[in-house]
Amino acid sequence: MAILEVRDIASGYGEVQILWGAHLKLEEKKLTCLVGGNGAGKTTMLRTVMGLIKPLSGTIWFEGKDVSRVPAYTKADMGLVLVPEGRQLFTDMSVYENLEMGASNKRARGKVKDNLEKVYTMFPRLLERQTQKAGTLSGGEQQMLAVARGIMADPIVLMIDELSLGLAPVLVLQLFESLRALRDAGITILLVEQNVHMALAISDYGYVLSEGRSEIEGPARQLIKDKHVREAYLGL
Amino acid sequence: MNAGAILTSLVDGLLIGVVYGIAAMGLNLIWGVMRVINLAHGALISLGMFGVYLLFSGLGLNPYLALVLVALMGLLMGILIYAIAITRVINAPYLSTLLATFSINMIVIGLGTAAFTTTPRDTGFSLGNVEVGPLTLQGTRLIAALVTLIVTAILYTFLYRTRTGKYIRAVSNNRSAAELMGIPSSRILALSFGIGTMLAAIAGGLIATFFSFTILSGDVYQQKSFIIGVLGGLGNPLGALVGGLILGVLEGVLPLAMPNTWVPVIEFVLFILILLVKPSGLLGGKK
Repeated sequence: MAILEVRDIASGYGEVQILWGAHLKLEEKKLTCLVGGNGAGKTTMLRTVMGLIKPLSGTIWFEGKDVSRVPAYTKADMGLVLVPEGRQLFTDMSVYENLEMGASNKRARGKVKDNLEKVYTMFPRLLERQTQKAGTLSGGEQQMLAVARGIMADPIVLMIDELSLGLAPVLVLQLFESLRALRDAGITILLVEQNVHMALAISDYGYVLSEGRSEIEGPARQLIKDKHVREAYLGL
Repeated sequence: MNAGAILTSLVDGLLIGVVYGIAAMGLNLIWGVMRVINLAHGALISLGMFGVYLLFSGLGLNPYLALVLVALMGLLMGILIYAIAITRVINAPYLSTLLATFSINMIVIGLGTAAFTTTPRDTGFSLGNVEVGPLTLQGTRLIAALVTLIVTAILYTFLYRTRTGKYIRAVSNNRSAAELMGIPSSRILALSFGIGTMLAAIAGGLIATFFSFTILSGDVYQQKSFIIGVLGGLGNPLGALVGGLILGVLEGVLPLAMPNTWVPVIEFVLFILILLVKPSGLLGGKK
């Protein structure tokens, strides 16, 4: 059974409709990616799923329940966690405090110690910098912290918006590797990426979003060989 | 003029400056967390003054015990004001929040004038003088400064050491991210407004132990709070304390060299100069 399912969703900002009937299904403990060009509606999809924007029509199902109109802060309590685009760290607070704030929801509060250990093992750099203000970290470290803060929320489903944006390829590779480790640890992951090739290379399943509609879907391994995907998104 | 008198003026200014600092801290906290300029701040300071006055003169309660009750009432009142008024305009442009808080100011002052008139009140409370070397200091001002420092220390411990305090800083830093983390931001905003109001009420209550006042007096301290906020940097609570000290020293020392009426002129010239030269305040702070 799919742990998260988006059915025929329409959504947007005010007068501007961006999603025109997109769908998405996340299998439990799998890494799924949602790719597409600029303005395809990827971020809007995540914001709608998270409850930051109310859908115009369509439904969102999480663990068998209709959560289409549940607000964002309640979604966090349910185990649905978003690592937002542009990191959105608490820049005036320390690295440690950022991690602490990540564990604000009801599920995560009792597991701070365990999750902190997990996070520091995955990103030792953050342990070294734990008293430093988040705003003073390098871009790569900030992205690590954003992901780490998401893990602190003890997610059932972790959604990550543009993990690779603005980072050096070596760092991107390292971060993608850590996503696989998280999936192997039992977290369901939805990765939204403009870097189509790398995203498909590490994912189990992929969706291609185009002009607000789900265009193609399939096992990532097949999508990477798909003629249309190769021409339109991989430039091959 | 002897050195003792100058030193006394200086220390006296510092003591009062600390109390100004706590009034400014309330204004600062509300601005820092929710970007609301609270024009009801002065009226709430006045209510703090009347709270201590009525509990002391009417019920015979010790003023410092009265202050604890006034602080609690301030907290509750702030939360109530947030829930009734501020929450409706919190995401609207600045003009709406200015008008909303100004309306609250007018309501409080109108009701206060009807109930208490504008005849100056005085608690008539005294703790005598304390002699320290060449210094002669009023006991009430010494205690007021001490209370302020304790409240500031508690506030800092709260903001930096407790979960709820950190939530306030997180919401202040990035409200949408805080919501994503599962922090109920509207509750945190209400609490912050409550604490800001509580600080105003405490400042008012302390001032009432050594100055006479009317329902309109709070306005003066609101203006001082703005100057202090700009001195220390808006959105920076510690800056408020430093700004308060600077203003207090000016008010202590300037009257030795010029007529008292010139003091506000100097203060506001300083205000404009800092806005021109270093708009982020002497200690920095948020834009």
